[in-house]
Amino acid sequence: MKRMIGQRAAASFLALLGLVVLVFFLSRLTGDPAALYLPIDASQEMLENFREIHGLNDPLLVQFGNYVTDLLRLDFGESIRKARPAIDVVLEAFVWTLQLALITMALVTVTAVVLGSLAAFRVGGLFDRLTSLISLVGASAPDFWIAIVAIVLFSVQLGWLPTSGTGSVWHWVLPVAVLFVRPFGLILQVVRGSMISALTSAYVKTARAKGVRNRPIIFVHTLRNAMLPVITVIGDQAAAMLNGAVIVETIFGFPGVGKLMIDSILQRDFNVILASIVVTALAIFIMNLLIDMAYAVLDPRIRY
Amino acid sequence: MIVSAPVPDTNHRPAQRLFTVLRMLWADKFAFCAALFLLVIFACALLGPAALSEAASQVNLRGRNAPPFSLENGWQFLLGGDALGRPLLARIIVAAQNTIMVAAGAVACSMVIGTTLGLIAGYAGRRVGQVIMRLADIIMSFPSLLLAVIVLYILAPSVGNLIIVLAITRIPIYLRTTRAEVLEIRERMFVQAARVMGASTPRIVFRHILPVIVPTLMTIATLDFAFVMLAESSLSFLGIGIQPPEITWGLMVSQGRSYLTTAWWLAFWPGLAIILTTLSLNLLSNWLRTALDPVQRWRLELGGKKT
Amino acid sequence: MKPNHLLIGALLASASFGPAIAQENKNVTVVLAEETDLVEPCMATRSNIGRVVLQNISETLTELDVRDGGGGIKPRLAESWEQVDDNTWRFHLRRGVTFSDGSSFDAEDVKHSFARAMSDQISCEIARYYSGMDITPAIVDEHTIDFTAEPAQPIMPLLMSLLTIVPSETPVEFTREPIGTGPYTLAEWNPGQNIRLERRDDYWGDTPEVSGATYLFRQDPAVRAAMVETDEADIAPSVSAIEADDPELDHSYPNSETLYLRLDHAMAPLDDRRVRLAINHAIDREAFVGSLLPEGTELATAIVPPTTQGWNAELTPPAYDPEKARALLEEAAAEGVPVDREITLVGRTGNYPNVTEVMETLHFMLSDVGFNVDLQMYEVAEFENLYSKPYPENRNPQLVAAMHDNARGDAVFSMYFKYHSEGRQSGIADARVDELIAQATAATGEERAKLWSELFGYLHDDVVADALLFHMVGFARVNERLDWEPTIATNSQLQLADIAFE
Repeated sequence: MKRMIGQRAAASFLALLGLVVLVFFLSRLTGDPAALYLPIDASQEMLENFREIHGLNDPLLVQFGNYVTDLLRLDFGESIRKARPAIDVVLEAFVWTLQLALITMALVTVTAVVLGSLAAFRVGGLFDRLTSLISLVGASAPDFWIAIVAIVLFSVQLGWLPTSGTGSVWHWVLPVAVLFVRPFGLILQVVRGSMISALTSAYVKTARAKGVRNRPIIFVHTLRNAMLPVITVIGDQAAAMLNGAVIVETIFGFPGVGKLMIDSILQRDFNVILASIVVTALAIFIMNLLIDMAYAVLDPRIRY
Repeated sequence: MIVSAPVPDTNHRPAQRLFTVLRMLWADKFAFCAALFLLVIFACALLGPAALSEAASQVNLRGRNAPPFSLENGWQFLLGGDALGRPLLARIIVAAQNTIMVAAGAVACSMVIGTTLGLIAGYAGRRVGQVIMRLADIIMSFPSLLLAVIVLYILAPSVGNLIIVLAITRIPIYLRTTRAEVLEIRERMFVQAARVMGASTPRIVFRHILPVIVPTLMTIATLDFAFVMLAESSLSFLGIGIQPPEITWGLMVSQGRSYLTTAWWLAFWPGLAIILTTLSLNLLSNWLRTALDPVQRWRLELGGKKT
Repeated sequence: MKPNHLLIGALLASASFGPAIAQENKNVTVVLAEETDLVEPCMATRSNIGRVVLQNISETLTELDVRDGGGGIKPRLAESWEQVDDNTWRFHLRRGVTFSDGSSFDAEDVKHSFARAMSDQISCEIARYYSGMDITPAIVDEHTIDFTAEPAQPIMPLLMSLLTIVPSETPVEFTREPIGTGPYTLAEWNPGQNIRLERRDDYWGDTPEVSGATYLFRQDPAVRAAMVETDEADIAPSVSAIEADDPELDHSYPNSETLYLRLDHAMAPLDDRRVRLAINHAIDREAFVGSLLPEGTELATAIVPPTTQGWNAELTPPAYDPEKARALLEEAAAEGVPVDREITLVGRTGNYPNVTEVMETLHFMLSDVGFNVDLQMYEVAEFENLYSKPYPENRNPQLVAAMHDNARGDAVFSMYFKYHSEGRQSGIADARVDELIAQATAATGEERAKLWSELFGYLHDDVVADALLFHMVGFARVNERLDWEPTIATNSQLQLADIAFE
């Protein structure tokens, strides 16, 4: 296991480097921050001066060299827009995103696994049809649509919940609920499908043939085997969430990293984009590592 | 006991096979309706723009937000008019083409590429597998909306570019699922047996492993179809998706969202189109799973009498 | 509250949310569309910063009076001023003014503020208003300062309404703790979440009623409107016309933005006056008002709003006349003007509420009279590439739909950039226009107004420089417990001292 972690860390470092290179050059292809930062009727001298201050006049490769050198000293540079260290801006936002992702994914996993397995026990039954339908309809509606309808309904009409923002536990209800819907539908489907296959597979039949009538035992054994594809999907969904929930954050004014990234690319605030990519990528690499370890635990046949 | 890999039944003549398929479809009424609905949508996508794009772009500011269920202005206004007084029904039909093209294109591309890479990663040597998985990690840790925004800033937001962007962001999900399944399946007895009997690698991968994975992939693909349609609409929400005068359902929902409290039909109908299409695909895929699975097929062959 | 303690804290906290509105609550909550990412006084001319900082934290020597008829300059930190000679203006500073750090305000502070704003170490936005001129401040005594400009600046008092004053000790780098002479100080700032201002006790002027203000940021207009409705906020300075459906809460105001189509005179067929006229007659301007754009939107005949000095009231917007437009096009075509050449109509996503719908309608109207138009929507960076010089080499003829904001009361902040042959966003090169701009810029009083007026008329009727569309209207949603009306300046500043309670 230790060797595996070591190898993965090395591989992850390479991937991270690849990501930084990719983002550095791709984002700089999208345009010049000077034109955006300064007013539209700024003079040529102001533009030149701005580029000089922020080191945008150097050749691209020199800029990249400087960036990497600084990065190795864990210096992520300044945010052009906010005039403070980019990493501070990103970490502040990431703490919010992390909380949001953890809470939502925990709720999603528990409910989806429970409901999905129950649905698989009686394929085509009423419960099966109902959960499938509800989860699907929910997962098929655009999230910004759900979010705005939820605000109109629960905040404006009923007055139960605050519209947006942060501050109390109630502020979390709507964002989490909106975020919940899509991964829930997806994971529920995968759990159900995977459980159906597992329930009809050889070892369950063997167990039944041997006279194991105890449903809980069958359930636990089946679930354990059915979890492999489920974990993959949970991992993907969690990764997507660690990258920030752009739409939800935008609508609910939630200060997470997703909105920060989109705002920063809009403003061409390159250092913030890069810092947020590095932070979220690290988080995702760590999570992937945990998932691979989960595989190994669940299925001893898998060796790394 | 050895579970045999599904082997397509080649004894029947084509007409007979079609009949069997139809009968099995009829056995599941939900799937049957879904198939019909999808046929209609595909017909709209194929013929809609040619027939209706003129009517769908006729602006009339003095007759905006016409309410639905009124035939006064002609059948195209059955679902009401939009903020520019254009007929919603006609627009939904015309938009079907771009929507389906983007979604189907992105799903097909990502599924083919992702599955292929996943098979390689799962079955080939460890080193190749590791390289592929790290590439997947890079894409996965690249926030998909951010990637889309950056690429669409560099390229123009056309249908083709949207397909590319959305496909790239969806590859890892197929890749990882395929690999995970391959890792498990290749240890199963029937694969081991085939290997011992000297079957070639392509034969093992395509005849023995792939068919077992396909049902899972189909489930993901149908859900992904919805995901891609929604991602496309999220891009519209952020203002960087398909740009007018081109239309997609996602763009229509996004444009109509500000009228939710005053003219709900603007966002509701295209939203419903997305939901129904996704739902149909999913019902069909559930049916397909059952039909493709030799252990489960009897449920349909017995004419829908569920036990 | 720190994020990591949030959950625990929130669980312990009561279930209440939003500002608990007690009888004696003199706090207001303002919800803005765009985050205030800096609180630097020298950036206060940027609207997302100005709404928080300008005249609340940092004050200026003079102030443009927008309440009473408009156009006048009011004293603020300067009590009076006079012109010493053609190039020099003398400002007499208010006595007994202190900064929020306790230090007193004098001429040295003004000099430093100007030097800091113009410094090339930092990119202050205010500097753009002083570009193309050479201004030297000179301290006369502790409470008197001279500004000498080359070339002469007849509107020096107006220019001084843009310079925010900071203490002379302020370092030349962006500050996160702004010190000003204004009635409020920055009490708390959680980037991305909120900013809080609190009232000072030792302000030189009248004590404002509002004791503190919290600023929140929500991008979606529907959410902003909902927040005022649910008492989570008191003022939403910009909600879209669609949400503004409650006359009790929603107040419309001219937001000083003018929407127009910049025509590229260097490219055929837009180099032909008949073609430009045809564009103007093809657009049914009135159909937009009350439908896609709110009631109260005015048809434009100049790029500056009617509150500007020298406004030409004699100009009338071109009538909607598709027949005439078609006839003009035919006439031009008969003389060999390539009228069927593809023209790109360029719009900017998210520019104003309903921008996409407006652009689609313009596209439809122009196509309807026979133009071969291709609609392209761009996000802001790409848009500015097309809007500002140097224009791309291999471009189509372009109609760029842009908004221009000038609430400063004088056309000088617009005309050079938009119409001078050297102007960065100019689509024309006309010797007479250049000359008029130069003359008006140097003139004062009546003469200045007359020259601007002449220029507006010449551009609109003779050159047909562009397709001027609308003076836009914004909506503010205001909680009923407040007594406050938005003005044309609300787009760029929001003075808490103007707010009273019912």
